[in-house]
Amino acid sequence: MLSTVLLRGAARGNAAALLKSVRLTSLNSYSTIVANTQRQAVSKPLALAKQISPIVVRNISVSTPRMASATSSHTRLWTIERIVSAGLLAVIPAAFIAPSQVLDALLAISVVIHTHWGVEAMVVDYMRPSVVGNILPKVSHIALIIMSVATLGGLFYYIKNDVGLANGIKRFWAIKGKDSNQ
Amino acid sequence: MLVNEARQVLSRASSLAARHQLRAISSTTQLEQQAQPKAVPEPQIKKFEIYRWNPDNAGEKPYMQTYEINMRECGPMVLDALIKIKNEMDPTLTFRRSCREGICGSCAMNIGGTNTLACISKIDATSPKPLKVYPLPHMYVVRDLVPDMNNFYEQYKNIQPWLQRKNEAGEQKGKAQYLQSVEDRSKLDGLYECILCACCSTSCPSYWWNAEKYLGPAVLMQAYRWIIDSRDENTEERLSKLKDPFSVYRCHTIMNCTRTCPKGLNPGRAIAEIKKLLSGLASKPAPKLETAALHK
Repeated sequence: MLSTVLLRGAARGNAAALLKSVRLTSLNSYSTIVANTQRQAVSKPLALAKQISPIVVRNISVSTPRMASATSSHTRLWTIERIVSAGLLAVIPAAFIAPSQVLDALLAISVVIHTHWGVEAMVVDYMRPSVVGNILPKVSHIALIIMSVATLGGLFYYIKNDVGLANGIKRFWAIKGKDSNQ
Repeated sequence: MLVNEARQVLSRASSLAARHQLRAISSTTQLEQQAQPKAVPEPQIKKFEIYRWNPDNAGEKPYMQTYEINMRECGPMVLDALIKIKNEMDPTLTFRRSCREGICGSCAMNIGGTNTLACISKIDATSPKPLKVYPLPHMYVVRDLVPDMNNFYEQYKNIQPWLQRKNEAGEQKGKAQYLQSVEDRSKLDGLYECILCACCSTSCPSYWWNAEKYLGPAVLMQAYRWIIDSRDENTEERLSKLKDPFSVYRCHTIMNCTRTCPKGLNPGRAIAEIKKLLSGLASKPAPKLETAALHK
């Protein structure tokens, strides 16, 4: 084993010497061959110990796609998502044109659920178990649900006990600066 | 005898004289040409920065290697430059290529920030900026510009890309053709042209983040190609395999797929059609011709 390695090294050295003696260095490819063989010839004696140790096998990923979620159906949820998205186009203007508690509640529900689904997609995409571990995805998903529920609760409280959502937002336009009061 | 010899000598002499004359004429023209030397075009140097990584050099990080190419001696496409580099400058540069005319999909790579085929993307020789060439993004790299396509091919296999009929016993394979109307056939246009180069899938952020669960635009477009084929009868089964939250629904209609497709196809539309079929907003129309009519 060792002798064959040594012999191969010697043969390489000879090849390099031969090419050098021919002096065809004007061709780039030849110069790279010479450079490579020289480099190998120089590094070979140092790398001998490595050569004798068993060859390290590099595994290329050949895993089959995990169809972990193949059982559950996402179809209905997707359809509802589309209906809510389309519905927002009607609900938002309606709530502002004719402010009422019913339309405010509808606006609050649809906006919060629409945002929730959007952020949920981000959590699923960016909090992946393969990247951040198994705990963080669950924690962030639960945190998102708590946040959405809290937002909806807060908005309901505001609608019930105050001027209402649409009217509340309209009030921002009623805010006047100090200068305009004078 | 003598007369014949004399004739031969004469003819030889005349031909020699003619040759001398010719030579004289040509030499003068040669001289004239030499007097006005042809304008040698200046070398037009274009820099290429190419992603390099060799698994054999343990512990070595990927790096960018710059090559300078005289565009006067190089073909117009990026693949020509890569082949020139491999032939003349650096035989260790590794990439896939085959047909060099945009029909095999082997040379898909990220060129100047866009996933495309090296063989059909022109080099902008006038730009002083170096052209950056990377392997397809977010894929495992086997070496240099060669990505690991195993997952992609496995996903393609997963959608069963072949014609499936219910009545396998009654329709003996190869006995007769299946019928398809011109209108039904036209539904496959824009789908069957896909060469599975994976440019679209690897440009999709959703595929970057969930490549093992989301099928990706290329595979989904092929799934739709078999779903909508009027001759295929396994539509229900095909659709039910896709209804989970990841296979199709990780598509957020980012549309990078359609933008990058080197064949000008629209995988984004195909995915939207699948979603419509899944939700029941659309349904597959019945075949215009009786598909198995010739088998009876």
